[in-house]
Amino acid sequence: MKRFRILLSTEFKAWRNDPITALGGFIPPSLILIAFGLLLGGRLSFKLAVIDHDQGSYGEVLRETLAEVESPFGVPYYDVLEISEEKTWETYHAYRIDGMWIIPKDFSTRLEAGMNPEIEMYFINYNDDRAKNHRIYSAEILWRFYEKIGQPAPPLALAEEYPRPEMVHWFPVIAVGVTLLAVTLGGAFNVYALTYKEQISGLTLEFGLAPHSLLWVLLPKTLLALAAGIATGSAFLGILYLWLGVWPGMYLWAVWLLFGLVALFWIALALMVGLRARNYMAGAIGAVLGALIVFFVSGGLNLWRWNAHNVNWFSWLFPYIYAVDPLRDMILFNAWPADWKSALSITGAFAVGAVVIGWNFAARKLRRMG
Amino acid sequence: MRRLRLLIRNELKMVRTALPIHLIAILQPALMYSIMAGVLVHPTFDVNVTRPTNEVGQQLIEAMHEVGSPDGVPYINPVLRGEDDPIGAGVVTIEETDHQVRAVYHYGLIDSNIVKNLRNRLTAAALRLWNDSLDGRAVTIVEHPWLPQDPPYNLYFGMAMLPMTTFLAAALIGGFLTAQEFEFDTIIEYRLSPISPTLVFFARLIRLVLMSWLSASVLLIVVGLFNRVWPASIPAVALILLPIALIGGGIGLSAGLMLRSSLPAFVIGLGSAFGCWILGAAFGLPTGFSSAYEFVSRLVPNSYAVELLFPLYYDTTIADSLRSILALTIFSLAALGLAALAYRRRVLIQQE
Repeated sequence: MKRFRILLSTEFKAWRNDPITALGGFIPPSLILIAFGLLLGGRLSFKLAVIDHDQGSYGEVLRETLAEVESPFGVPYYDVLEISEEKTWETYHAYRIDGMWIIPKDFSTRLEAGMNPEIEMYFINYNDDRAKNHRIYSAEILWRFYEKIGQPAPPLALAEEYPRPEMVHWFPVIAVGVTLLAVTLGGAFNVYALTYKEQISGLTLEFGLAPHSLLWVLLPKTLLALAAGIATGSAFLGILYLWLGVWPGMYLWAVWLLFGLVALFWIALALMVGLRARNYMAGAIGAVLGALIVFFVSGGLNLWRWNAHNVNWFSWLFPYIYAVDPLRDMILFNAWPADWKSALSITGAFAVGAVVIGWNFAARKLRRMG
Repeated sequence: MRRLRLLIRNELKMVRTALPIHLIAILQPALMYSIMAGVLVHPTFDVNVTRPTNEVGQQLIEAMHEVGSPDGVPYINPVLRGEDDPIGAGVVTIEETDHQVRAVYHYGLIDSNIVKNLRNRLTAAALRLWNDSLDGRAVTIVEHPWLPQDPPYNLYFGMAMLPMTTFLAAALIGGFLTAQEFEFDTIIEYRLSPISPTLVFFARLIRLVLMSWLSASVLLIVVGLFNRVWPASIPAVALILLPIALIGGGIGLSAGLMLRSSLPAFVIGLGSAFGCWILGAAFGLPTGFSSAYEFVSRLVPNSYAVELLFPLYYDTTIADSLRSILALTIFSLAALGLAALAYRRRVLIQQE
């Protein structure tokens, strides 16, 4: 135990000397979180101008409808701009707005007479997703417009039922994904920080010649990196609380447990790479960039549970995907995840497997060097 | 000039000393794109529908098949299910009451983005039925899209990744190699060298630019093969990415010189490359997002590079090119100035 204490305190001192690497799990995810916050945390409405030439009253009703129909984001689909016709064309051609609707002067007349009224929709379609949104948003607008002007009832009415009373928005979903990324990077960067100095100063040779079990070397590193990973994740939980007002509450222990299991996987992976004498940094960079790829493709940006058929094979090879949605349940909804047992057993298996393989591999490497 | 050539040759030879790092910096973004392109947004969504038992329900299924783009891309893939099948993301059931027939969307989740997508699609299909019943009183929307066809989202995403790739390669390689000069004490050779420091600095920058161009070329080829779309001019792409390479290289060199340790230099390179990417029009043109995002995107170089790349891929201009060129010039001069200052402080002053 004394040996463990001494090694732990040595590792801790080495760790304090490299604050930027120690914050490696914090700095890049913070920038990513802020960037996504700016990208998706604002008002997600299309900027639209309406040129209303209609000589009747329906054009004005349509304009009002455009401004009032709300999306599940809690904001209208369109921000209708009040600008002149000349300015509208100018702004559209300068790509300052997403689209414009032109209501012809005979719109009301034709609508009343049943003579196939038309509207012209100009829109920016530089990607198929935005083009699709313009087309299907217009359906929402027309549906409400028909209701407002008293068209005969539709042959098929629409209704919705939700499993919970409140909607969760895109940015909080991503924010939990980024938090788990921070845990991953926090663990990986810190184990690299704890092994790098030993690599470049040749201390690994001394470890290899040690008369005692190398567990005494690997355990303190793993524990410190694990603590750093969980601490990074907890710091992000604090940010989420201040920014979004979400907090896991009584499930904090379960959140920490999942954080720890995911972090252990990456720590063990990083140990394997970190204790190799050659190509140390290549391994470190590869592992960290790998963790970023895993974040982007394995449910970091979306809830994946109901979309599992679209998840690619690569994502199933890492524990991230199994933990992220249960974490969202606990952090965003204060709800116990229905798949807790499977999440815990799978992330646990990943962690145990990785630690056993990682420690063995690292110990063999060190002995061989010794 | 001969000395510079020799220096550049020496720099390129040094690639062999850190081949894995170079390979990662060059290939990783292309790998990331290849994996992400498979899971990124696609206009076609599966919509679960409980097998309808009445005529209106059947008509709704037919209408679902018709909702799509004029290019022929369907927006809905109706998936017929039994009454007892699990809800999944949501399921539409056709329910009849005394007075009316309703399509009820029973959502299995409350993710606003997915709910929006599913709701809009159902409304679009149901509106077709309503329009059919209205005859001449139905409103027709005549579409005038900006481009003749809807380019795939993956094309934009790949194009916007080109500056990030360039930035990342230059920042990673520059930061890592410079920091290693301190870690292995080879920096002393620069301090004792009789060659002009500007030449040494310049040779390293050229190497970083070449490496980041190589990284961007790999991604450009992957994006091209994926989407079957190629930029109008490859030299123009290289020219647009040149200031980005200088900015990434400048930041990487500065981080390596100031921190003198590879891992922290890597953290700075990684953070700045990904931060500038997401803030710099990574997922869509900034005008399409909030005004705060639009404002902040003006403060990162990637947005300006995307504005300049856009006409090469889409054959249409979206911003004043001169302004973008000026902004990129200012950014690259600032990054180079920062690197030169760091070089002076860490190498030249110590030499004296």
